[in-house]
Amino acid sequence: MAVSGTFADGVTAANPPAGGTPGGTPRRRRRGRWSAIWSARWSYLYVAPMMVLLVGFVIYPIGASLGYTFYQWNGIGDPTDFVGFANFAQVVNDSIFWGAVRHTFTYVAIVTPVQLVLALALALVLNNRRLRFATFYRTLFFLPVVTSAAVIGVVFQLMFSNFGQSVNDILTGFRITNENIDWLGDPNVAMGIIIVVGIWHTLGYNLVYFLAGLQTIPEELYEAARIDGAGRIAQFCYITVPMLRSVGVVIVLLALIGGFQVFDLVQVLTNGGPYFATEVVNTYIYHLAFGGFGASAVQPNVGLASAASFFYGLLLIGFSAVQVVVIRSLARRRAGQ
Amino acid sequence: MASITVPAGRTRGPAARRSRPPRGVRALTHAALLIGGLAWMYPFIWTLGSSFKDTDEFFNRGLNPMPERFLWSNYLEAWQQASFGRYFVNTLLITVGTTVGTLLITSMAGYVLGRTRFPGKKLCLVLISATLFLPHGYTIIPIFDLVDRIGLLNSLWSVILVQAAGGVVFGTFLFMGYFMSIDRELEDAARMDGASFHQTFWQIMLPLSGPMIATVGLFTAISAWNSFFIPLVFTLARPELRTLAVGMYSFIGENSTQWTLLCAGSVITLAPIIALFLLLQRFFVNGLAGAVKQ
Repeated sequence: MAVSGTFADGVTAANPPAGGTPGGTPRRRRRGRWSAIWSARWSYLYVAPMMVLLVGFVIYPIGASLGYTFYQWNGIGDPTDFVGFANFAQVVNDSIFWGAVRHTFTYVAIVTPVQLVLALALALVLNNRRLRFATFYRTLFFLPVVTSAAVIGVVFQLMFSNFGQSVNDILTGFRITNENIDWLGDPNVAMGIIIVVGIWHTLGYNLVYFLAGLQTIPEELYEAARIDGAGRIAQFCYITVPMLRSVGVVIVLLALIGGFQVFDLVQVLTNGGPYFATEVVNTYIYHLAFGGFGASAVQPNVGLASAASFFYGLLLIGFSAVQVVVIRSLARRRAGQ
Repeated sequence: MASITVPAGRTRGPAARRSRPPRGVRALTHAALLIGGLAWMYPFIWTLGSSFKDTDEFFNRGLNPMPERFLWSNYLEAWQQASFGRYFVNTLLITVGTTVGTLLITSMAGYVLGRTRFPGKKLCLVLISATLFLPHGYTIIPIFDLVDRIGLLNSLWSVILVQAAGGVVFGTFLFMGYFMSIDRELEDAARMDGASFHQTFWQIMLPLSGPMIATVGLFTAISAWNSFFIPLVFTLARPELRTLAVGMYSFIGENSTQWTLLCAGSVITLAPIIALFLLLQRFFVNGLAGAVKQ
C-alpha cells in the first residue's frame, strides 16, 4: 500500500497535468513544483543515464517479452504470424519444458541446503578469532567464486575425460561398481556432477555472507551465556541461530535466486544432454531462441522461447512472493510468542 | 596459563578452557582446513600443471598435476593459433568499458538519490528496489532486439552496454547507501564556500567514496570478465568478437582433442582475475558482507 502511494506521488511529480487550472492555490503549487524541478535539474541529469538503462534494459524487456509470446517468429524481421496463446499452450504441454523445470528445481533443492550447511559450518570454524590464518583459509574456499562458470565447465569436462577412466578402474578394482561409469554421458551421473560442481563453485559467497552475519553478533552475548553455564550447542541454538535469522533470510533468498538462473555451467558441461537429462530452464530457452546442437529447436522459435521465459519468470516471481509471505508470517508468529 | 592455575569455579573453568583449545585440537583444525582447502584448489592446480604437459603426458599422468618438464609452447599456440590472444584483448576491452561505464553511471545516480531531493525521486527508488531482486536473463530476447534496433548488434559496444545495464541497479544501491552515510556537514561547508553542484560531487563526494569505487569496480570487473551468456548471444554471428569464456566454449566444441591447449586457455582466462581478486580481495569481501547486512 505504501508502494502504490509513493508510486502515484512520483508519477504526478514527473508529469504534472497539462492545461491551466483555475484558482490561485493550485497554480501557485504547480509553479512551485516546476521551480522545484528546475532547481533539481542537475539531479535529473545525474540520475538519467541510470534510469535510461534501467527502463530500457530491465523494465521494457519484461513487457516486450510478453508481446513476442503471441507470435510464431524465427527472430528475423518483424513478427507477423499472430498465433494467440498457442505458444503458451505448446510450452505447458511440452514435456521437455517441464523436465527442464524439474531439473532446475532439483538443482536448487540440493545445492541450496547442502551449500548453506557447509558454508555455515565452515564460517563457524573460521569465525574463531583465535584461529590463525583464518583469512588465508577463507581465500582458498572463496577463490572459485571469482572464476568464470563457463571456464570451470571446460576444466571439469577436461578432468572427467582425462581421469574418468582411471577412477573407473579404481572403482571396478574395489568392486564398488561392475560397469564403467560414463560420467557426463549417463543422465543421472551428469546431473550429479553439475550439482557437485555448482556447490563447489558458489560456496564461497555463502561463506562470506555467514562470516559477515556472525561478526555482527556481540561477543558479550556469548560471554554472558558462558557465565550462565550454557554449552556450545546451547550457545549455537539460542544465540547464533536467532541472531543470524535476518541475515540468513537474505542469504537463502540470494542462494535461491542464483540457483534458479543456472546456465553457464550446464551449457558448457553437458549442453543440456544427454537426451535433455540435464536441460535446465535457461538452457531450454536458449536452445529454443538461438538453436543448439541437436537440441529441441531445429529452427529458432523466438515466440515459443519468450512464452517459456515469461512463464518461467511468472513461476519465479510467484515463488518469491510465496517465500516472502511465508518468511513474514513465520517472523510474525515468532514475534507474537 | 593464569586462567588454568586459578582454582576453577563452576562457571569460570569451562569458559577458560573453551577460549583456549588444547594444542591437539588446534593442530587438527588446521590440518583439516589445509587438506580441505587444497582439495578445494585441486581443479586449479591440476589445470595449471596440465597446461605445461604434452598430449601423451596429459593422459599418462592423469590425476597427477605435476608435468615432467615445463612445455611453454602450449601457451604460444593457444595465444596465436587458437586466437586466445584476440579473445584476451576483447575481454579486456569489454571489462574496462563495462567497469568505467558502470562506475560513472552508478556513482552519479547513487549520489543524487542518496544526497539530494527532487520530484520523482520516490519513483526512481521504487523502480530500483522492485528490480533489485528480480531474476534476469529471461528477457534476453527483447534486449537482443533492442540492441539490434539501435544498430549496435555485432559490436563490442553491445556487450558493454548490456552488461553495464545489468549491473546498474546493484551498483546504484551500494553507492546510495554509501553517500547517505557520509557526514552532511562536509557538503554544507563546500556549498558555503561556493562550490557548485558539479564541484561538490566530482571534487568532494566522489574522492571520498574510494572504498565503494573499489568495491563496485571490482564486482563489475569480475562479472564482466567472467560473463558468458551475454557475450555468447551477442557474438554468435561474429566469432572474432568472442571473449575468453565464449572462445573456450566454442574451442571445446570445434577442437575437442587439443586438451593441453584448452588447459593453457583456462589458465589465460583464470589467472588475471584471480590475481586481481587476491590484490583487492578486502574490498570485494567487505562489499559482499555489507550488501547482505543491509
